[in-house]
Amino acid sequence: MEDFLTLLLAGVSVGAVYGLIAIGLNLTFWTTRTMNFGQGSVMMLCAMLTANLIARGWMQGLAILAALAVIVVLMVFTEMYTVRPALKIEGSMGWAVSTLGVGIILQGCAALWFGSQAVAFPDVIFSAVDNVVIFGVHVSLQYIAVVVLALALVVVFELLVRGTVWGRAMRAVAMDQDFAAVIGIPVRAIVLGSYIASGLLAGISGILVAQIGGTVDPAFGFELVIFGFVAAVLGGMGSTPGALAGGIVAGVLQQMVGGYISSAAQHGMAFALLILILVVRPQGLFGQREINKV
Amino acid sequence: MTLKRRELLSFTGAAAAGGTLGFARRARAADPIKVGFTTALTGPFNEFGEGYKRGIEIAIEKINKAGGVLGRPIEIGVMLDDQLIPDRSVQNMRRILDDKSIVGLFCPSGSGPTLAVIDMIAADGRPTMNPQAQTPTVIYPNGPGGKPRPNVYTFSIQNDIEANFMATLLAKKFTRIGLLNESTGYGKTGSELIKAGIAAANKDAVVTNESYNQKDQDMTAQLVRVQRARSEALMVVGLGADMAVIRKNMTRMNMTIPFFTSAGGLSPPYVEGAGDLAAGTKGSQFKKISTVPPAPETKEFLDAYKAKYGADRLWGTDPEVPTPSMGGTVATGYDGMLVMADAIRRAGTTEAAAVIKAMDATKGFLGCNCAYEFTPEKHHAIEIGDLTTYEFVKKDGRMTLVPTAI
Repeated sequence: MEDFLTLLLAGVSVGAVYGLIAIGLNLTFWTTRTMNFGQGSVMMLCAMLTANLIARGWMQGLAILAALAVIVVLMVFTEMYTVRPALKIEGSMGWAVSTLGVGIILQGCAALWFGSQAVAFPDVIFSAVDNVVIFGVHVSLQYIAVVVLALALVVVFELLVRGTVWGRAMRAVAMDQDFAAVIGIPVRAIVLGSYIASGLLAGISGILVAQIGGTVDPAFGFELVIFGFVAAVLGGMGSTPGALAGGIVAGVLQQMVGGYISSAAQHGMAFALLILILVVRPQGLFGQREINKV
Repeated sequence: MTLKRRELLSFTGAAAAGGTLGFARRARAADPIKVGFTTALTGPFNEFGEGYKRGIEIAIEKINKAGGVLGRPIEIGVMLDDQLIPDRSVQNMRRILDDKSIVGLFCPSGSGPTLAVIDMIAADGRPTMNPQAQTPTVIYPNGPGGKPRPNVYTFSIQNDIEANFMATLLAKKFTRIGLLNESTGYGKTGSELIKAGIAAANKDAVVTNESYNQKDQDMTAQLVRVQRARSEALMVVGLGADMAVIRKNMTRMNMTIPFFTSAGGLSPPYVEGAGDLAAGTKGSQFKKISTVPPAPETKEFLDAYKAKYGADRLWGTDPEVPTPSMGGTVATGYDGMLVMADAIRRAGTTEAAAVIKAMDATKGFLGCNCAYEFTPEKHHAIEIGDLTTYEFVKKDGRMTLVPTAI
């Protein structure tokens, strides 16, 4: 029972981060049917900037805000100069290459600026020694903080999308960009906003994961985005609760397989899950089947 | 005596040719002796490549200051970066091997890249020093105890030597042992050898072996399996940054069993990542490099390093005594270069077969890590007696490695 609870909590915590990354991917998918394949590098850059600024004596909160501000600027650049031009050609997948390219350039820049070695990431909210005992199991407060923060972000995000004018505008753009433009919705601003929000979610995810691992290096984030993608497909592309659920299912399954079957099979699990869901339920757990009338 | 015209012409031609050859011989005598290597000069593991490059450079400065070898200076002819990626090592090594002016070679950092190029090197036949790769098959293709590759010599701690050392110590004290390894050649062979060593030393011992991928951010599943097996100690075969993730994970799970690492783990990235949690971690490393006071040959190297780079990250946190991992990151390159130069000097030529013959006759060459001795059957030098156990202790506000007993 103790093992089960330990694995469950670790799975939920890691899965919640996958969920956040998945929501970030969903956001841009809604508005432009594109995804930022450089999302992993955004996570890395945010975490590396935060670690570096804190090491230079900045207050933690200020360092995080500054890193997130850099991410906002970066996402504006990404959307304006790598995604928007690619979308001018109908049916082009150029955005996939250009966003991936930005990610690779960011990795190179991070190696140049901060060095290519792993740098220590400080404890942001709690440290590894902070834990509480629940049902006789030592539960890490770092894990709990990650889960609570991820849930809070999802709730806030859902409230914004469902309860605000900007949220409704975003949904309108998601349904039909041309019609949204005709009725006066600033489509370009909405698309840009979706990229910024997606980058911010990636940045926060990067900070959350880095404080658990304790180190961050320029190659950080790449694998996490793949798991985030699996979570998005598993939950149903475009569904926020689905993304979170998909992330948690992937995270918990990984831990359970690793803990009870084989630690070597742990990583392949997410991909097995991806193949299975695409075969059995392509629209994902929470997605709706898309019907095109001819 | 009169010379016929044909005889005169041939005499003049021979004299001219002799003169030219003599001139060419003199020019070659002044030509530098070149060495070449590909290693991780950048990338997440560049402490290894950058470290051994520094070691080679310091050795070359020492040799050239003393007049070079055979009256010729030594220089690095080709130095390429592979970031510890095997594919790049192969491309780079091909380029190096195509340069026939290179006299001696150094293997890349790490077992993966070295195993990827070692057959090319063996086929080429030029004398090659292996500063860091630990997998025994780099040197002995049929396993330890077999015949070595004729032209490859290792200066690193071979996995089998380290495994025997750690296995014997662990088996003496614990009967249930958790063993974690990274899923690389270094990790896999290391853990296989430790398992075999523990079984040989204590037939009642139970070993729970799990693996992880380099850069994994969470090791809960592996640690739960080790915990469920009621392991009394955990030994990890891996590198520093991953070791920090494991140590933090153990703390989160309130796992307080003794923690041991391979030589690769007792390194600066581990302390940087784990911070104070590193305290109490034990592992094996080179003995001689951190011995106080240092032997004269070690002191000469340490003084040269400190004058050039200061007590930097590779040196460690104690400005007076270098961290033992420096024996593997920097000193193996230094020792390798010195031993190769000594063999060329004894061979009296840079011709590969003669240098290899001289390498095989190396005896009692005092280096920073041990007294080097190679024979046609034995191409490794570091033995169990050249290692010792260390423990991370917080001293004067900084984490330092001190010799300890398990």
